[in-house]
Amino acid sequence: MTQGKTGTELAEPPKKPVTVSINGNAYRADEGECLLTVAERVKIPIPHFCFEQSLEPYGACRLCMVGVVHHGKTVMETACTLRAKEGLTVLTDTPDIVKYRTILFELYLAEAPKSAVVKEMAARYGVTKTRFLRRVDTGDPLGGACILCGLCVRVCNEIMGAGAINFINRGPYTVVNTPFTEPSRDCYGCGACAAVCPTHAVSLEDRGGERILHSWSETKVPLSQCVSCGKYFAPAALEKSVLSRIEPPLRDDLEGLCPACRAKKLAKKEILAATGGDPGDA
Amino acid sequence: MTGVFDRAAGEVAGQKKILPGKPRIAVGLATCGIAVGGEKVYERLQEIIKKTGVDISLAKTGCIGYCREEPLVNITIPGKPLVILHKVTEEDAEGIVEAVKKGTVPYKKALCRVPSWDHVTGTVITYGNGFDEIPLYADIPFFKHQKKVILRNAGFINPEDIDEYLAVGGYAAAEQALTRMDSETIISEVEKSGLRGRGGAGFPTGMKWRITRDAPGAAKYIICNADEGDPGAYMNRNEMESDPHMLIEGMIIGAYAIGAKEGLIYIRAEYPLAIRRLVHAIGEARALGLLGKDIIGAGFDFDIRIATGAGAFVCGESTALVASIEGRTGRPHPRPPRLTDPGGGLWGIPSDLNNVETWCNIPVIIRNGSGWYAKIGAEKNAGTKVFSLVGKVDRVGLVEVPLGTSLNTIVCDIGNGGAQGKKVKAVQTGGPSGGCIPVRLFDTPVNYESLNAVGSIMGSGGIVVMDEDTDMVDIARYFINFATGESCGKCVPCREGLRHTLILLNRLIARKGTAKDLETLALLADTIKNTSLCGLGQSAPNPVLTTLAYFREEYDALVKP
Amino acid sequence: MEEKTLEEIIARYDSPTGKVLGILGDIQRSEGYIPRETLEMLSVKIDVRISQLYSIVTFYSFFSLKPVGEHVITICMGTACHVRGAVGVLDALESLLDIHGDTTEDGKFSVTTKDNKFTVEIARCFGACSMAPVLQIDGTLYGYANPDTLPAILEQYGWRAA
Repeated sequence: MTQGKTGTELAEPPKKPVTVSINGNAYRADEGECLLTVAERVKIPIPHFCFEQSLEPYGACRLCMVGVVHHGKTVMETACTLRAKEGLTVLTDTPDIVKYRTILFELYLAEAPKSAVVKEMAARYGVTKTRFLRRVDTGDPLGGACILCGLCVRVCNEIMGAGAINFINRGPYTVVNTPFTEPSRDCYGCGACAAVCPTHAVSLEDRGGERILHSWSETKVPLSQCVSCGKYFAPAALEKSVLSRIEPPLRDDLEGLCPACRAKKLAKKEILAATGGDPGDA
Repeated sequence: MTGVFDRAAGEVAGQKKILPGKPRIAVGLATCGIAVGGEKVYERLQEIIKKTGVDISLAKTGCIGYCREEPLVNITIPGKPLVILHKVTEEDAEGIVEAVKKGTVPYKKALCRVPSWDHVTGTVITYGNGFDEIPLYADIPFFKHQKKVILRNAGFINPEDIDEYLAVGGYAAAEQALTRMDSETIISEVEKSGLRGRGGAGFPTGMKWRITRDAPGAAKYIICNADEGDPGAYMNRNEMESDPHMLIEGMIIGAYAIGAKEGLIYIRAEYPLAIRRLVHAIGEARALGLLGKDIIGAGFDFDIRIATGAGAFVCGESTALVASIEGRTGRPHPRPPRLTDPGGGLWGIPSDLNNVETWCNIPVIIRNGSGWYAKIGAEKNAGTKVFSLVGKVDRVGLVEVPLGTSLNTIVCDIGNGGAQGKKVKAVQTGGPSGGCIPVRLFDTPVNYESLNAVGSIMGSGGIVVMDEDTDMVDIARYFINFATGESCGKCVPCREGLRHTLILLNRLIARKGTAKDLETLALLADTIKNTSLCGLGQSAPNPVLTTLAYFREEYDALVKP
Repeated sequence: MEEKTLEEIIARYDSPTGKVLGILGDIQRSEGYIPRETLEMLSVKIDVRISQLYSIVTFYSFFSLKPVGEHVITICMGTACHVRGAVGVLDALESLLDIHGDTTEDGKFSVTTKDNKFTVEIARCFGACSMAPVLQIDGTLYGYANPDTLPAILEQYGWRAA
């Protein structure tokens, strides 16, 4: 028999357990695990905006900075980019961190004055007002709540593969929108951008047979109508893209149906199969 | 002609061009020389020589660095010293040709004479004696305190002719490295030389090479950072315009040591002449078998590609630079992965990134040995550094001195203090990432650590002089305005923090600020420095922090009592 | 830009390394700006999303989506130029050309005269600091600029005092 890689060899090696210290208490973690995830699991609050499990750490919001103690010195690093290793010692509330976090929250309060989420989070850390000039933009399609964490852009490009929105301009002029701030032809209307937005700044609406993405230059995408009950249930492009990943027999069963009618159809089919009826009539 | 590289043949051909056995007139044609009329001088000379049929060789050179005196023209008459003429205009052309025809030079236009020139890598060009009334190069105050290692050829050879580079010892180091040294010996030589990154951070070059070479995977890239973004710095431009082959030679040696088959020069679009000269030089090097397959017959393949930037200061940051080359916006990502790590470099391949001037240091280290090199400069700061001495200084130009030379020597002895007799007040080193150093600290030696200790940085080598008329709060605002416009916008301290710093500074300058605003300004600057994602943000508050520390009274004067 | 010209530009880049910025730079140099149709055509030809190309074009200051005037004047705002009076040169230029510039909503400074003859832009540094303040017109550098020498320079480009 030829020597080959077995299934177990191909699988990820088992994670090595390590002990990390957060604020003086020891916690178990997997080696290489993201420190922010560890802290969340053991319910130690570290504020953050731009972190999302399914994406690479981005390091933009700077709120998750913690003090890493190494040889008696404390160096600040973002928890989202820190990896657990044996003996890692961090502090989440050093005087420096409190000082800088306060200023960062004040900057957020000035940048996104309309965001309830920002206000709430800042208040949790004792910051209720800002000494900086608030941004006022009545025409902002993100309603004065965007903090440019980039999650919508990344999910649209890296996960959905739609690439409908991106950053425009740079520095303090940066905004997120569609190219030429015109309705996008690439948008699936999947709404992932709104789902990941930590400040609920993305506004979209299903109206009749359309989904309107108000924040993205009023991009309109058609919704699929259920062939069975007539309800509009999902953006057509999204339905098509999801169906393309399913094998034909099942795909033919699901095409054109809303989730409720799908469940009904599949259940009926199962019953017919069990009782020997003709599934074609389902 | 492609074939086995024949250094000796090129050397002989090149020497015949530098010392043609007949008079040679060479016009300094780098960007600065051209802008003050050098090209017109060249064209006029060409016209006169053609018309009169006189047997004079006309050539182009790069720039010797004394920018205030441009356009500069070199005259070589067989047996006589090379004479540098200064502030030459079109109208002088006729007189120059007339004089040269008679075996002399227009004395009134003469800046200095050079009886012989040491090209450092073993070649000394002996021009001759005579013209004793003209001051010697070594007696000119601007040149006297300098030590030319990197700029050893600048202003003497034609940057568009590889033969002239070969004539002054060019590519001897590459030949030596590729045929008689292995990777380990080269890297160890670079380590022992003590060379540190000339882009500003000062990371040991040899160590970076070693890390890249030893990174997993067979494929490696080497990259030259020619995105000289500091406003007020133009050393790299001149290095590429005046001596492009030195950079290419350094890269060949580095590629061989690291094991890279492909090198890349990332250059800013604002430098069209440097791009043209590099493209030309790369072509020449390929034709001689110095780039491409089986370089110098040593069985090593390597080639260089050029990628242009598009106007973004942040692209000097390594991860942003790579993003830009890969066709994305230059938004830095957290490190690690570093460029030298698998997954972190160009297209994910471990990459070594060095500044133009760092690469330029390599040939002389290989040729003259690490021991020779390590003796130049100061403790842990080996070698020379080229600075652009600009702003309100009398003698503006490019200055090369051993590291550890004091600011005093640079600004007062070489630069002759303030322009128009004004009193110098401060210098800014390191561009927007650096700080303002007051005149009372001018005994500070210019090395990586001392500049950090006074709140500034070495940076790439810009030294901007400010005089008694310069308003330091306005300078702080200038730099913050620059950094705000160049911020990529990814992280909040840099994007929003700098914007509010600018608002505060504007308020202060409009005399609407309060003592509380000053307090906020200092706290905000501190926050940006300590919480920003990349080097741009982390260093952007330096001009505010240093002017607050050294020129506090100018801020206080703006605040309403 | 003609489709054929764009294809010729794309053909200059045989490696993905430096390709996107290289092509955009060539378009910018050839047209003086990046026409929308060209950007859209490019998106299809090199298979890069239009949202990404638009993001790049608005990020880098070298690119412009707006057409420019017959002559482009770029004032250097490098540090050496700043301390030696570049702001005064810009003010004088604005008054001579009767334009009023400010950084626009995209953060870029670009103003074109009403007769479409001149566009004024600012650059961060040409690296010609020894001759500060410096300005560039259609690629030619002018050193030691000051409000008094401006009219003579502008006249070479067809400007006449009102």
